[in-house]
Amino acid sequence: MWEKIARPDEVRRWPGGFPVAHRYTPGVAGEAFLTALRDRGVILGTRCERCAYTYVPARLFCERCFAELDAGVELGPGGTLISFTIGFAGLEGEPLDRPVTLGLVRLDGADAVLLHHVLDPGDEPLEIGERVEVVLRPSGERTGSILDIEGFALAERADE
Amino acid sequence: MSGTRVAVVGAGMTRFMRRAQETGKELAWEAARAALDSCQLTLADVDAVCLTSAPDAFDGVHMKGEYLSDGAGGFGKPFIRTYVGGGSGVFTAIQGWYTVASGMFDVALLVAEEKMSSTQPHPQGAFLTIFDSILERPLEPNLLWIFALEMNRYMTVYGLDKRDIAAVAVKNKRNAAGHPAALLGQADITVDDVLASEVLAWPVQRLDVSPISDGAVAVVVASEDVAKRITDRPVWIEGVGWNLDTTYWTNRDLVYPEYVENAARMAYDMAGVKEPRKEIHVAEPYDPFDYKELHHLEGLLLFDKGKAPEAARDGVLDRDGDLPSCPSGGLLGVGNPIAAAGLMKIAELFWQLRGEAGARQVPGTPERGVAQAWGDLMQVGTVVVMGTEGGPATTAAGLPVVQTPPYATGGHPLSDAGFRSAVGAVDHRLGARYAWDAGVAVGRFLDGLRAGRILGRECRRCERILVPPRMFCEQCFRETDAWIEVEHTGTVQTYSICHVSWDMQPLDPPEIPAVIAVDGSDGGFLHMLGEVDPDEVRIGMEVEAVWKPVGERIGSILDIAHFRPRGHA
Repeated sequence: MWEKIARPDEVRRWPGGFPVAHRYTPGVAGEAFLTALRDRGVILGTRCERCAYTYVPARLFCERCFAELDAGVELGPGGTLISFTIGFAGLEGEPLDRPVTLGLVRLDGADAVLLHHVLDPGDEPLEIGERVEVVLRPSGERTGSILDIEGFALAERADE
Repeated sequence: MSGTRVAVVGAGMTRFMRRAQETGKELAWEAARAALDSCQLTLADVDAVCLTSAPDAFDGVHMKGEYLSDGAGGFGKPFIRTYVGGGSGVFTAIQGWYTVASGMFDVALLVAEEKMSSTQPHPQGAFLTIFDSILERPLEPNLLWIFALEMNRYMTVYGLDKRDIAAVAVKNKRNAAGHPAALLGQADITVDDVLASEVLAWPVQRLDVSPISDGAVAVVVASEDVAKRITDRPVWIEGVGWNLDTTYWTNRDLVYPEYVENAARMAYDMAGVKEPRKEIHVAEPYDPFDYKELHHLEGLLLFDKGKAPEAARDGVLDRDGDLPSCPSGGLLGVGNPIAAAGLMKIAELFWQLRGEAGARQVPGTPERGVAQAWGDLMQVGTVVVMGTEGGPATTAAGLPVVQTPPYATGGHPLSDAGFRSAVGAVDHRLGARYAWDAGVAVGRFLDGLRAGRILGRECRRCERILVPPRMFCEQCFRETDAWIEVEHTGTVQTYSICHVSWDMQPLDPPEIPAVIAVDGSDGGFLHMLGEVDPDEVRIGMEVEAVWKPVGERIGSILDIAHFRPRGHA
């Protein structure tokens, strides 16, 4: 039979972590996407003519037919809100001072959708199907990061 | 063996690189596309996709299988990733075999990818977590320890000359000079170069070890009828085998890989191979370290125990020798993107048996080969036997086979500077923290250490005293019977003089990890030797535990400060 353990609160656990770090490089297509974003302020996708599908961010290959994709296409800046969520809790479950709104947007000309922040959604409820527009950081502040995009502004409200 | 026959019909690979510009999924796609191109298939012809990749910690992507699936061609198809550590690449061919042999699918695409360059500061750090969190990790082990400890015992038990082992590194790096995808091919390397290289964890030196690498390999397999329509020269998967040893690696026979023999016997039986030394014409055993190729050739029953090193010395394993071994250049020469390196061995047999290996072609007409890999916690053997069944070395039209090797060598190496300055590169440190429960057996063992006692568990059926203890016997699969206190003394089973830390930082003075068989037990466990000159340490040396003072003991493997020679003044 199993023996009973006398002091279950002691010497039963050993703390530790996973002491590795990573440096992720964006690869062939990722580098083209981020360079275009930083230097030209454009959202670069790639189109597979055979599958009639436009990917964004740009990809090196079509996952549907395996064709190499090299011709970049510029997408947006307008787009349509496909879905959204409002986050009230942080990574560790702590309440956030300001809720975070994230949107999935199909940029004009694209088939794939892009995830980013929805900027200043205001008090009006968001609606799926709403028009939005990409807002970039000023050219001098862009570093070649997905954060060179500040987020999506609601198109009508941006006019206000 | 029931099920439809299965053949390899195409293969492709990327270059193996220290660092690739491509992402993991881009590498996977380069290899998969090359494999499909080699047999004039498209993704639409593929019925199922089998992927493998070693620990997620290398790429730094949790659920790496899902991440890589698009590059592997998994979109909209039956897709699964399998994983048995270093054994994964060869296992994927086994997975491909049963995927098709089952009759469910006619064409399967097999893809193996690894991108180790993402791990910082060194991929060795990612291996720290494969050691037992409570009994081994507090000792800050480097993965090299396991190999150094195994190699030392192999050399000592058989009285081997390190020069004969180094001959394997020389052979493979020379073979790789003929491989267009190779990272470390070198036509003029000598045994003296290997013996003069930096000592990492004695007896392991820098050139005894394969390099960390990025790369991908893909293979296409098909059912018999479909294979014959795709090509007039299919290479049949004649036998497959896989087998695991105990996960308590310090309890294993470190001299002979019995799990490889078990896997090989399974594969040979299925293939109808009765005399492997006569019926196997070319071998691709797993060679992450030079001694491992020899270890594995013995496990594959191709040499007597302890006799493979002299075969290496005498040229028997050379490309034009009696048993060409790693004609590809292997992991030591082509490179070691872990999972990809295993599948590269399947691809190499495919090219060799079709006479398409170009500058690396083994002379004569090899009709049957064996590929093998090894991994998990260094206890899995995966074996595949492939053959042409005396099939045509000429084409159907009767012409001799003269064909440019069909594999592409996609992929772009990224320099150190390019890696540091890459546009859009992101640095990330995984912040996860854990608290590992000691559990029933190890909890009691730690209690014992705090009290200055070493405790084992007795299994009365197989008559073993298990140290470290477990509440079940993994051999008999029953509850163990009783706690037994064992001695504080033991014998050094093997040791290493290690000059690098767990994350490959230099250590001065070096430390001496050892496997110690504790008197009164049937197992060994990992600890450090101290109060001894490294030059004086010997396998078989009698040692005793040196305890920390009572007040400093906390219920940890470190309550034993180290072991020292018995009778120490």
